[in-house]
Amino acid sequence: MTRTLLALFLLGSLGAFADEPLHVVTTIETFADLARSIGGDQVEVKSLSHGYQDPHFVEAKPNLMVVLNRADVLARVGLDLEIGWLPPLVTGSRNEKILPGQSGDIDCSQFIDPLDVPTTKVDRSQGDIHPAGNPHYWIPPVNAVRIAKGMMERFSQLRPGSKEYFAQRFQAFVADLKTRAVKWEALARPLAGAKVVTYHKSWSYVSKWLKLDEVGYVENRPGIPPSPDHLAQLITTMKAVGAKKVIVETFYNRAIADEVAEQAGATLVSAPSNVGASKDITTYPQLVDALLAALTK
Amino acid sequence: MKRVLPFTLTLLVASGAFAQEPPDAGAPASSSLADELDLAAGTPSKAAPVVPPQSPVSRAFQSLNPDISVIADVTAGLARGPSYSTAGDDPVLSHAVGELPAGLTAQEVEIGFQSVVDPYFKAELYLTIPNQSGLEVEEAVVTTTSLPANLQARTGLFRSAFGRNNGQHLHVQEFTRRPLVNEAYLGVDGLRAPGAQLSWLVPAPFFLQLSGEVFAVGAPEGSPHLSTFGGTPASSKGASAAGPSLTGTAELKAFFPATESLSVSAGLNVARGTSPGLGCVPGPVVLCLDVALPSPSTLGAFDLYVKYKPPNVAGGYFALAWTTEVFVRQLDGPPTLPLSGTPGPDGGLYTQLVAQVARRWLVGLREDLLGTPSTGYMPRTQRTSLSVTYLFSEFARLRAYGERETTAPPGLGFFSGPPVSAAYLQLEVSMGAHGAHAF
Repeated sequence: MTRTLLALFLLGSLGAFADEPLHVVTTIETFADLARSIGGDQVEVKSLSHGYQDPHFVEAKPNLMVVLNRADVLARVGLDLEIGWLPPLVTGSRNEKILPGQSGDIDCSQFIDPLDVPTTKVDRSQGDIHPAGNPHYWIPPVNAVRIAKGMMERFSQLRPGSKEYFAQRFQAFVADLKTRAVKWEALARPLAGAKVVTYHKSWSYVSKWLKLDEVGYVENRPGIPPSPDHLAQLITTMKAVGAKKVIVETFYNRAIADEVAEQAGATLVSAPSNVGASKDITTYPQLVDALLAALTK
Repeated sequence: MKRVLPFTLTLLVASGAFAQEPPDAGAPASSSLADELDLAAGTPSKAAPVVPPQSPVSRAFQSLNPDISVIADVTAGLARGPSYSTAGDDPVLSHAVGELPAGLTAQEVEIGFQSVVDPYFKAELYLTIPNQSGLEVEEAVVTTTSLPANLQARTGLFRSAFGRNNGQHLHVQEFTRRPLVNEAYLGVDGLRAPGAQLSWLVPAPFFLQLSGEVFAVGAPEGSPHLSTFGGTPASSKGASAAGPSLTGTAELKAFFPATESLSVSAGLNVARGTSPGLGCVPGPVVLCLDVALPSPSTLGAFDLYVKYKPPNVAGGYFALAWTTEVFVRQLDGPPTLPLSGTPGPDGGLYTQLVAQVARRWLVGLREDLLGTPSTGYMPRTQRTSLSVTYLFSEFARLRAYGERETTAPPGLGFFSGPPVSAAYLQLEVSMGAHGAHAF
């Protein structure tokens, strides 16, 4: 009798559990859109940062602990991108489900092949570097598919009853990107081989995808303002090699990059790097559209 | 040519320092994007380690050793007379130029170890060497990570959550010296002692946290006065005979994001214990002593932190933070000789504005007031401080700091005592992996 009651209780609990949407929290808005694309109405998604913020320097506001406290899943960039603000929020959230290594923790960097991994010993004389690799990896469509697939698999583990639903939505997501692929490839083709300068070394994955040739960086040591000497040398190099674009994320101050572009006879490209970078970029495909539009303008 | 050559070399070195991308990164150049997407969708998700296992440098990132950091503050200064009081991590000027205290000191060296212990605990150890005076444990604390019902417990030796400044280490301070109220009411070391804390994240739509703490404060060794709030002063019982006594605190913290750029954090705090031994004997010339006030006391505090900071720097780097803490104390009975007077209440406050005026520059102004209200043994003392900080990077900064302080004779108002001024130049460097700080 006791066993029967226990079984009924467990079944009832599972039923209630199955109806409850998966509470997904992401550290960047692009991941939030990917999670919505895969999770549909089976997930409730919130992002801790906005696309118009620098994801290195989000303020660890205590209200974000409240958001994390209710999370079933935390999808984060990893590779130390959020190391300056996320750990105290996770600890303060008192939510063991999202602790590193737990079932609710998705370090999305595990799904991609990291670039710019140092092979020699590094130190902070090179600036605020990322020793495990470059964390700005989410824009190229191949990586977006890999991340979405990783989310689908984890959501399915946590909500096995919705496994088919997540798989169908993933296939639809891939199919949608494939329909856009022809247009994106056509837009990207003229960019191949273009010599560019970027503000921060955060476009490596995009450059690899679009075959851009990065010839220098405005901020040559990440997180440290560039010296006048470096800027003068950069401008000389840009003129020598014919670099015609300076790419800067929308959340950075453009003053220095503007000056470099003007002095070198190049164009400043204020490029979105995340969903939410502007009001009209609300989905991942819109992010790629906007980025390609900015680069080909 | 002079400029091009170093730049070219820099590019060569920089490019050599990074690995070429793995051969399977991305997709073959000859295939179409649609094919690459199919491939990415069809192949099992990569679950490869973040770094290639072949690299000995990369393998070090998977070490289970604690994160280790060292933060050093080296400070030079010059003062025109002694300050009303000195916190444990304030710079000590041990030499003199003529009649004036002056010197160069390693104000603090902090050595930190932080690690996840297991699925249930994380641990932090902070050792400190203030003013070359020997190694102390500043904090050695274990925090739970998986208690139910939104609870979290901490135990060990740690800084109390009482107020805002008390929980912060020196390198988080916006000024070279701590506020006067912290020294006067929580002791020269602040409220930190062996104890336990239980906090509850209240299930509310905004951040609301309630915490309670108990500390066992023993008599300090080799010092007649209490170095922290609570405990039993050695001078009243003798250091060897004095056992620890309990100090209790309770704190309620709330946070409101008024707008995306404007944040408000507020706290109500209460503590019950023996007051630290800082008091001043009234007379024609005010004499401040480190003596015990062994009377039990109740301490209340309100803290407010308002910060304006836009979500990004596209429009500029300006940010502004306003912090205020107000303390009020009530002794259970009158203080013992050589002090005299009514048991209070007495109190103090500080209010400070810190503005980031450029990417690398911060300017801060603070006003400290003690004796609001005043008693015979807590005269009216004020200090005005100005701080200008230059950030070399996230890990190094240089700070110029100046202050002017007055302590009034009994019955007189603020600013009526003889002024004492001081100036400091403080260099701070941070090495290793130091964890992120709370808001």
